[in-house]
Amino acid sequence: MQVTTRTQGDVTIAAITGSLDSASSPVAQTALDAVVAGGARKLAVDFSGLDYVSSAGLRVLLGTAKQVKASGGALRMFGLNASVREVFEISGFATILPVFPGEGEALQGF
Amino acid sequence: MTFTGTSDEVGRVASTFADFAEAHALPAPVRRSMLVALDEIVVNAVTHGATPGASGVRVTVEGSLEPDRLVVAVRDSGRPFDPFALASPDTTLSVEDRPIGGLGIYLVRQMMDEVQYSRRDNQNEVVLIKHLGTLDGARSPKESA
Repeated sequence: MQVTTRTQGDVTIAAITGSLDSASSPVAQTALDAVVAGGARKLAVDFSGLDYVSSAGLRVLLGTAKQVKASGGALRMFGLNASVREVFEISGFATILPVFPGEGEALQGF
Repeated sequence: MTFTGTSDEVGRVASTFADFAEAHALPAPVRRSMLVALDEIVVNAVTHGATPGASGVRVTVEGSLEPDRLVVAVRDSGRPFDPFALASPDTTLSVEDRPIGGLGIYLVRQMMDEVQYSRRDNQNEVVLIKHLGTLDGARSPKESA
């Protein structure tokens, strides 16, 4: 699992690649905490390189979404494969966190 | 075809299964669903099964690939604990109000075609079953036996 960040305008894009499960989630949490602590208010999470996510990974995303929201920002997600999308839909996260098909849609009007 | 992994380290179970999945060219949706379920069940076994003051819970994973389904058994030596006896979480709560507990087991229930729990020989055994034909539509639905 790897988290790579880049910025486009005032949007910070964090790409999570590999798998986001109980083994990798502490590292992902630390990386995303640093992104938020660094001042990111518009955070787009790129899942196009993510193989699968478990509830441990969902916990990381929920925590990050809460942090961003608490500081007046917003989090968007894009690039979910069918399995990741299924986990988001079953858990209900797809209805409470904005999911977009691709980067273009996620950044539009952000 | 079978694989067996024994570990108190969750990541090792995942990599053992990933190797098995690759060797047998399992469809990606089946492989990913089972990886999610394994993560939830093994973490559950390690966190709920541990006896305070004792050494870690030993978890054994044994899988077999049958013509139309993947069957994976997760056994642990921890205290008796049926993960499927937990109530399902409220997935309609807002992001601020959402407690995360129970969600993992709910995911397992939804993503597997069948789940079983039993207590035998002083071990918890969870069996996870995923049909191979339910995703690609190439196989006809299995007749109920």
